[in-house]
Amino acid sequence: MPVYNFKTMAPVPSASDLVDIVLTRTQRRTPTVIHPGYKITRIRNFYMRKIKFTQQTISERLTTMLADFPRLSDIHPFYSDLCNTLYDRDHYKLALGQINTAKQLVDAVARDMIRMVKYGDSLYRCKCLKRAALGRMCTILKRQKASLSYLEEVRKHMSRLPALDPNTRTLLMCGLPNVGKSSFMNKITRANVDVQPYAFTTKSLFVGHTDYRYLRWQVIDTPGILDHPLEQRNTIEMQAITALAHLTCSVLYFMDISEQCGYTIEQQCNLFRSIQPLFANKQLVVVINKIDIQPWETLDASRRAMIEELIKESGSNTTMLTMSNVSEEGVSQVKNHACDKLLAARVDSRVSGNKANSVMNRLQVVYPTARDGVVREAYIPESVLKEQELRRRQGGGGGGDAASKKKKSRIGYAPTVDDEVDGDEEELDDIAHESDDEMLGSRKKKTARELMWENGGPGVWAPDYREQYDLDDPEWRFDAIPQILDGKNIADFVDPDIDEKLRLLEEEEDRLEAEYAAANMERMDDDDASLDEMEKAQVAEIRDRVTIARAYKERSGGNNRPALPRAIRGRVKDCHDDSAKLKASAIEKRLAKVGVDATQMLERGRKREREDPREKRRQSRAARGSDNGDAEMETEPTEEVSGGEDGRRGLSKGAAKRQRKERDESVKREQSLARSHSRPRTPSEMGLRDSTMAKVAKLAEKKGQKKWFGGSGEGDHTKAVHLVKWCNTGKKRNGTHYQR
Amino acid sequence: MATRVAFENSNEIGVFAALTNGYCLTGINRSENFYSVFESELSEHIPVIHATIAGCRFVGRTTVGNRRGLLVPNTATDVELAHLRNSLPDSVVVQRVEERLSALGNIIACNDHVALVHPDVDRETEDVISDVLGVEVFRQIVGGQALVGSYCKFSNTGGMVHPRTTVEDIEELSSLLQVPLVAGTVNRGSDVLGGGLIVNDWSAFVGLDTTSTEISVIENIFRLSGAGSSSGGGQQGQGQQSNIVTNMRSSLIDQLS
Repeated sequence: MPVYNFKTMAPVPSASDLVDIVLTRTQRRTPTVIHPGYKITRIRNFYMRKIKFTQQTISERLTTMLADFPRLSDIHPFYSDLCNTLYDRDHYKLALGQINTAKQLVDAVARDMIRMVKYGDSLYRCKCLKRAALGRMCTILKRQKASLSYLEEVRKHMSRLPALDPNTRTLLMCGLPNVGKSSFMNKITRANVDVQPYAFTTKSLFVGHTDYRYLRWQVIDTPGILDHPLEQRNTIEMQAITALAHLTCSVLYFMDISEQCGYTIEQQCNLFRSIQPLFANKQLVVVINKIDIQPWETLDASRRAMIEELIKESGSNTTMLTMSNVSEEGVSQVKNHACDKLLAARVDSRVSGNKANSVMNRLQVVYPTARDGVVREAYIPESVLKEQELRRRQGGGGGGDAASKKKKSRIGYAPTVDDEVDGDEEELDDIAHESDDEMLGSRKKKTARELMWENGGPGVWAPDYREQYDLDDPEWRFDAIPQILDGKNIADFVDPDIDEKLRLLEEEEDRLEAEYAAANMERMDDDDASLDEMEKAQVAEIRDRVTIARAYKERSGGNNRPALPRAIRGRVKDCHDDSAKLKASAIEKRLAKVGVDATQMLERGRKREREDPREKRRQSRAARGSDNGDAEMETEPTEEVSGGEDGRRGLSKGAAKRQRKERDESVKREQSLARSHSRPRTPSEMGLRDSTMAKVAKLAEKKGQKKWFGGSGEGDHTKAVHLVKWCNTGKKRNGTHYQR
Repeated sequence: MATRVAFENSNEIGVFAALTNGYCLTGINRSENFYSVFESELSEHIPVIHATIAGCRFVGRTTVGNRRGLLVPNTATDVELAHLRNSLPDSVVVQRVEERLSALGNIIACNDHVALVHPDVDRETEDVISDVLGVEVFRQIVGGQALVGSYCKFSNTGGMVHPRTTVEDIEELSSLLQVPLVAGTVNRGSDVLGGGLIVNDWSAFVGLDTTSTEISVIENIFRLSGAGSSSGGGQQGQGQQSNIVTNMRSSLIDQLS
């Protein structure tokens, strides 16, 4: 459903303003410097750009204008008719049509003039053509003065139209002037429509909103209608007629039985009959108003019969209600009845269609069928039940209190005038109750929010969350408990049975301590007896050496490495040096002295020494060669070592030769492949015949780059001397280059 | 009685608070406004506690519980766990769950008797749920959504499910959960019920955008409005819930279709 928002239309500038806007924009957004010495193509481009830019600006402005204004055939018929009434459809369409024509004319002018500039042969001619083009465009704009000012007026008026949704639930009031439509509107909504004791106080449609049955209802107040033929109705009345004709709504036809409005009941009945065709397919309620002055019961019988007759002949769907805006008698009944009627009709239409089926699951409560004998009860604490009981009893005794409690939760509820009055009373009630509470003693704790504001507001004060801890001893609440103690996470040791376990542990510890003490007493005696002098000295020496070794270790920086790296343990190299500390035999001897068997370690070292990485590589290469199916490889001798200077030590001559041969062959194979297969080449070699050509191309590329490097090019900013033609050409008979 | 609340201008209050019949958790916030809404309504009856899980304040989505226990994800730190254990009464068991889907509030929906869980939940987690919370556990989806905790909400008295759930599915769920159910929305048409609605057996909180129609449906189905919702027992409660069918039907039809 489109929502009509006429408020977003951009203002329409007047014709002279529009010209100014367009020209200023051209001046500011296009280049301004041109010299007659420039190339003629450049001069032509300069002026063509100006013309094109002006044309684009104009057509942009006019297009937005055309897009902004709604097309009367596209919008809801209510709005379309309202616009017709207010702005005259023909005039409106004509204005928009003229704007559209102007746009096309401007486009045509620009097209023609640009074509002519293309043939301009000097700066002056091009400039004249530009002037002519811009002038013609501005003239076209200036001719739209009337349409533009009309459209601006329309825009201003439309932006002030009430935000009326033609498809929502609507109550619509109609009737002769001064019968109390606007007063009723003020009673049930917060629209605050002007009410005065003269006819046509309401000159346009007014919209208000009211709440009923959880729904938002749109209430429309219309200007009064006089009883005369449609052709004679003025704009004000026609608005009411438009609303009546096009909105699906509940219509309240107001009748003033006191005849204070200046029209007799008979006249009011006649109006009803003349606009009755507009009530078709609508929910009609005839409201008998001003019963505070002239009660319905005391109305004389003939007039009463007249009205009853009227209602009877208007069909069974019409109901009559009495009310008074002054005494507020029956106001809410009228509202409720009209709303209920419309709602019922709307629901009927939806249920009869397929629309309601999709929301069927939201309209019915599904009750469970018991699947077992288990009773699953609600769990509500005693204190809650007690409070609910208390509230119910207060509600029963106090009357309005329960209602006030109930209304409290409706924060988003927009109160009507009536509600506002109620609200005030409630507030008074609340205050009274609060003071009662205080009398009873302030049992209510301060909330965290109140405390927060007392102590400096949000971000300054935060509650101590430990205050709420539910512990055996309230004094424990603020105990400082570390998260990590002695490198251990405290939480890993939390155990519900910790007390019991601790007790057991302590008991066990006591027991063990006692046992240990007893045993120790005995052993102390043993130790002294078992060692003789010699042994004691040995023990002392061992301990000394341990101490010294530790001290050394600490002094050397305590690096935690093996004393001897693996790589050099028992290296062959050291075999030739008799004094080497790392010689295998020396190591073996030294370790044997300490009592360590070093044979295995030395064996490991030797193994590493023997391993030659090059040997490994050669082996793997040989393996690859045999994979290729080269059977020769295996039979040839490989162990002939060549000289060191060619950098390919370890390769036999035969092997080198073979490698070279293989490489050449692979190149040939590749070239033959390139001839026989259609294979994409690398982009840089695309279109080159063979590798020779590619090489030549690469060289040329390199050379070209080398030459370009460092020179000046197109991208560089240069300022050439401005040569004045008369100074530099012709015979120099009467003067020099600089003066003539 | 349902109360409208917002958390820092967000309507998804179910993200930042968790409510059961035994306790209420709220996320930590610079201002105490959100906390105090719950405090003033509930603190006389049950503990209302500030909490974080893994340093984050969306406690409503990461935890799940009922009056017997509280499950927290494995991302919860030891200090947070200790804070919860200290704050909650001893009758509530706080248990950490080693579950891959760590937003427990989204994958589990439960009351004091029954729980619905996401179909992909581990078997171990299922056992933990039934042991700690003392509930029957059913693997179910609601309205085509596997995140049962986000798309349905039920207490011991009633429940609301995703608005796209078909009537047959609602009947099936109702017989599993053994509570009356209705499909509905919160927050002006949002289907994320777990986000917009916090409810226990006697109170409810809804997002600030919730319309009065939505509130009255919630109050009726959870049997919250008016006094005597609890003590009256089954008959009166059913009467209140059938309000949706009798009194509100026309408003609902007109608004929804």
